[in-house]
Amino acid sequence: MIKVREWGGERIRQGLLAGGLIALLLTAMVLALSLGRYPLPPGEVLRYFLSLLGVDLLDGERLALMHNLVVDIRLPRVLAAVLVGASLSVSGAAYQAVFRNPLVSPALLGVLAGAACGAALGLIFSLPWWQVQVLAFVGGLLAVVVGVGVAGLFGGGGVVMLVLGGIISGGLFTSVLSLIKYMADPLNQLPAIVYWLMGSLGMATLTDMAWVALPMGAGVVLLASLGRALDALSMGDDEARALGVSVTAVRYGVIATATLISALTVSVAGMIGWVGLIVPHIARLLVGPCNSRLLPISALLGGVFLLLADGVSRNAATTEIPIGIITELLGIPLFLLVLHRVRKGWA
Amino acid sequence: MNDMSSLGGVGSSEGLCLEASGLRFSYRGREVVAGVDLSLRPGEVVALLGANGAGKSTLLKLLLGLLRPAAGSVFLGGKPLAAWPRKALARELAYVPQVHVTPFPYTVAQMAGLGRLAHRGLLGGLGEEDRDVVTATLEKLGIVHLANRAYTEISGGERQLALIARALVQGARLLVMDEPVSGLDYGHQMRLLARLQALAEEGYGILKTTHYPEHALGSAHRVVVLQEGKILAKGLAAEIVTPAMMRRLYGLEVEMVRTPTGHGFFHPLGRRG
Repeated sequence: MIKVREWGGERIRQGLLAGGLIALLLTAMVLALSLGRYPLPPGEVLRYFLSLLGVDLLDGERLALMHNLVVDIRLPRVLAAVLVGASLSVSGAAYQAVFRNPLVSPALLGVLAGAACGAALGLIFSLPWWQVQVLAFVGGLLAVVVGVGVAGLFGGGGVVMLVLGGIISGGLFTSVLSLIKYMADPLNQLPAIVYWLMGSLGMATLTDMAWVALPMGAGVVLLASLGRALDALSMGDDEARALGVSVTAVRYGVIATATLISALTVSVAGMIGWVGLIVPHIARLLVGPCNSRLLPISALLGGVFLLLADGVSRNAATTEIPIGIITELLGIPLFLLVLHRVRKGWA
Repeated sequence: MNDMSSLGGVGSSEGLCLEASGLRFSYRGREVVAGVDLSLRPGEVVALLGANGAGKSTLLKLLLGLLRPAAGSVFLGGKPLAAWPRKALARELAYVPQVHVTPFPYTVAQMAGLGRLAHRGLLGGLGEEDRDVVTATLEKLGIVHLANRAYTEISGGERQLALIARALVQGARLLVMDEPVSGLDYGHQMRLLARLQALAEEGYGILKTTHYPEHALGSAHRVVVLQEGKILAKGLAAEIVTPAMMRRLYGLEVEMVRTPTGHGFFHPLGRRG
């Protein structure tokens, strides 16, 4: 009998890959915690965490310094990188399945522009932080509705129309964003909006992260666990229904969740492009197209990718380079590489 | 491969029938399906014949519960389709679409594995039992050697078999197929028709649309002829698929040629115009 690779050694390979990625992510997190203007040896960071667990390795003064550096200053940033990377990557992969299109991403669908618009509006009116988040989400959702609506106007969910709809929606919200910037107070608000839009993980505080970590983490886990339903959805509505999936509920649930977590990334770290497009493709090269594996692997890879990008952004120059610029610079050559491998299926 | 029933593939249900009566459906003000009665029983192959635009695809979607009829209703096992939960319905009634291209290169095993969604929660993965069902079904259809190949990279005939495998993995006994032989070469067409007949002998009920009257004649028990959304004729294939019907349906003059073994073929009569 012929071995079905799917259930044989392949599963072991995939398990090892997932385990390896988790180890890589944890290592990257420790390295990220040790990097900075005041570099710490990574072993020192590990020793700090061991001290927290009750193994007494560091004296009180050193402990206080470490606490300040590691927990107060660097941990929010590291957590933000992991959560933002995972959220963008998972929602990118989920959008690709729902819209049956390997080229969509939160950025392409206009979600990031819409969320940026909403959040910028909130900044202009100096709204409280949580209202800025709500506006970001509403803006992101509005952008998806416009993009998909434009595609629907011209004959539905085909690959090209959806990309066009997203471009139009992104264009619309980018111009509205320009209008908001134009109206903003040029001394205080405008620079704030501009810097924040270029993307930075440095603005995250531990309190902010505590607030957004829960919805982002829950969203990532929810999407990652809906992989098999997403596989069915990527076959088209009729087939998915005939396979026993409640298409409408799953589709709108997935779109709402993916939009929520992508919009939250905008309010945490500004507009970070390319991650949501490139990471799912790298993950697909590693584990194949099955969403039940693709989504968790995308989440892990996304976390690693953004930690890497943030490392570059903090350490490449004496001043910090906005991470949105780094992800674009890293993303474009990577995407060319991926394109070279996968273009067969798109012809 | 007759151990399928022990794997929960087929045989657990007691042969439900699909019955449609008075089905009507309009699309953009035009009545596409205009009062159709139809039934499908386990163990038979029913061919749905009709010219382009006769409403065949719409009728299939109504029968599958993918569209809601404007009037009339579809019953499965005496219960209206709307009253069936999606997953329970998927375990009885499966849709085999026309061979298509998917945007993502799932392997044949993964493709067939999607059929197990009807048996598992949305959140779970495939269990040991699910994998056995998939492997056994691929073996039964003779495509287990393709299990690890990408669905996007195999031939049309092989893709059609993969889609049928997915429907069987669902555990459904009634299969609704949209032009199963379209796009296949002659050899694959013939082998697929034989495969469908074998499935019917096992107890599967198959409703398929077709553009080939001779396929209906050679391999369907019953034929339903659809014209402009209405049933023009239905009954035993040999009684329905006649030169007179070809004239009414396609406006063609043909004669029937019979082989010594009794198989009928149409041959166009002299060209006109």
